Parts: sequence; C-alpha cells; structure tokens
Amino acid sequence: MKGHVDLLLLSTLRAGPLHGYGVVEKLRGSSEGAFDLAEGTVYPALYRLEAAGLLSSSWTKAAGRRRRVYELTKRGRSELAKEKDQWKVFAHAMEAVVT
Amino acid sequence: MIERYLEALDLELVDVGIPSRLRRRILAESEDHLRSDDGALERFGTPAEVANAFAAELGARTSRGAAIGVFGALGVAGAVYAVSFIGASFAGHAPPDTWSVLALLAFVAVILAPQVSFVAGSLALVRVLRRREAVLPSSELRVINRRTGIALVFGILTMVALGVLAIELRSESAGWWVELTLVGAAIATPLLVLAALPAAVAARLKPRVAGEPGDLFDDLGFRTEPWRFATLVAVSLGLVVFLVAAAQGDPFDGAVNGMAEAIACLAGFAALGRYLGLRR
Repeated sequence: MKGHVDLLLLSTLRAGPLHGYGVVEKLRGSSEGAFDLAEGTVYPALYRLEAAGLLSSSWTKAAGRRRRVYELTKRGRSELAKEKDQWKVFAHAMEAVVT
Repeated sequence: MIERYLEALDLELVDVGIPSRLRRRILAESEDHLRSDDGALERFGTPAEVANAFAAELGARTSRGAAIGVFGALGVAGAVYAVSFIGASFAGHAPPDTWSVLALLAFVAVILAPQVSFVAGSLALVRVLRRREAVLPSSELRVINRRTGIALVFGILTMVALGVLAIELRSESAGWWVELTLVGAAIATPLLVLAALPAAVAARLKPRVAGEPGDLFDDLGFRTEPWRFATLVAVSLGLVVFLVAAAQGDPFDGAVNGMAEAIACLAGFAALGRYLGLRR
C-alpha cells in the first residue's frame, strides 16, 4: 500500500472536497476496511500532495470547529488520470501472471 | 484525553523540529480529526508516530528544496567569482610587495573555499536528484544537509573573502575591478544568506527513518577504493593546474601550485570525506 498512497488519496478526493477525517473514512469505506492505517499518518501525505500542487486546501467552519478541507487541483486531476492508467497496466499485468 | 494527546503531539512535533506555524496547523487539524468520533484517538497513531511521519515527509522535501536553492545561489556567487577572477587579469594590478595578514588570509580563502563549496553543493544536488523518494532515511538527510551546509558556509566565506581582498588590494587595483567585485559580492552574499533559511529548517528536522546513507560512489554510479579515487582526482587536478601554468610559460609556479592543489584536495577528502558522506 505504501507505494500507492498518492493514488489512493487523489482517487478519494476525485468526487469532491473532503477534510482529513472524511478522506480516511472514505478510504476505509471504499476498501471495505482493507486500508485501515494509522489515521494521523495520512496528513503528512496530504501536505506533501498539497506542496506538490496536486491538492489545495482551505479552512472552513463545521460544528463550531475549524476544519481544513482538501480538493484536487487541475494538476492533481491530470496526475490522477496518469497514475490510474499506470495502475491499470500494472494490475492487468499482475492479474495475467498471478491468475 | 484529547487534550493530553495534543499536548504530547505538540512536544513530539517540537522534538522532531517541525516549524511553529506548521505545528499549529497540524494540531488544529488533528484536534478536528480526533473530535470527529469516539474511536478516532485510538486509530490516529501515537504522537511519536504521527510527528515522525510529518518530519520524514517534510525532511525529504525541505532538504531537497534547500539543496537546490543553495545550488542556485551558488550559481550567482560563482558568476560573481568568475567575473571578478577574469576581470582581475584585465585590471592591470600588480601584486603588492607586502601582503597584510588579512589580505593573505582572504587570498587563501578565495582560492580554496569556492572549490569546497562547489564540490559540496554539486554533491548535494546530485544526491537530491538521485533520491527523489517522498521519505528518505535520516542518515541520508543528514548527508544532504551537511553537503548543503558546507556548500553554503564556504560559498559565503568566498564572497566575504573576495570583498575583503578587493578592499585590501584597492590601492594596487583598478577602481572598476574593486567596485565590480564589491558590488558582485554584495549581491551574492544576501542571496546565499537567504538560501540558508530553508537549509536551517531542513537541518532542524530530525525524523527517525531507518536506512543507510549512500557514499560518493552511489552518487557517481561506479565503485572503487575511496582513497585511490581521491588520489586520482587530486593528481588530475594538480596536473591541470601545472599544464595551464606551463602553457602560460610558468612551469615552476605551475608545479608548485599543482602540488598544493593536489595536497589540498587530499586534505579536504581526509577532513570532510566522512562528514560529507564521500566515504563510509
């Protein structure tokens, strides 16, 4: 999973903006609990993707608390498309060999 | 419970060197996350684990940025040095009969410091271009930061020494050369100081990530005995210095300078080789 964190996070944000907790929840839900990681360690990866210009973030207010919301940038969307293509090729090759 | 966790996380973030502004953001986001459901605290990871993950990600990125920034600033300093050096041969100044101690020290620094700076800066750049992973071993970051730091210190030393030399030799030198050198040094030095800021942030970050640092030969892409390689480089440099001087009709000076260059190169390898990760 370690090598695919970026793809997972970008994919999670494909549908729209989410805060960190939302990203983790969606990741766990979509993977049916398979990707159950130390939640705090997702944030450094989000920060890195933001620094790389693939995500943008801003503060909002929700339930009386300050909340940082992340969304894909244009560059993030094209990176996601690129990484998805690479993943499909890899997954197809793996399947051909393993099954 | 959440308050205690956040206090512990804050301490851990300080411990690994996360800058205060980023620390405030991390704590605010962590608090929001932890208050989102009752089990979040259990799933969040230990404060040490989370702080280390931040330091590891930030460490690689900051060290990389600092090395590239310092190399860019060194490029400007290098241009200033080259223009001053070439300009000196047109400035028509004769060497003074007696050198003041300050001028002598500045002269030695102007000859040696840029070489150390260039080698260290280039090696830092090569290492960060070769290691593009999101997270790097702590020992690898230490090597990159040391190379960047040495490049920076010797780069600043070069510019200061160049300025001192221009002032010390002003009565024997053309006025335009003195002004050109001083203005150049005055432009390059603040750039180098500016480049030191991210380098200082990078040096403060202390992630704990296991792994061995590479050595010079991992950077160069081949492997041989380190001292044999250092001797070969030193002899080659000395030979180049000799041949250039010989071509200008001064073989004796060339031989002396070439030998001094080779000895300085080997001395540099002995003194800084381990520190800069050139040899294990």
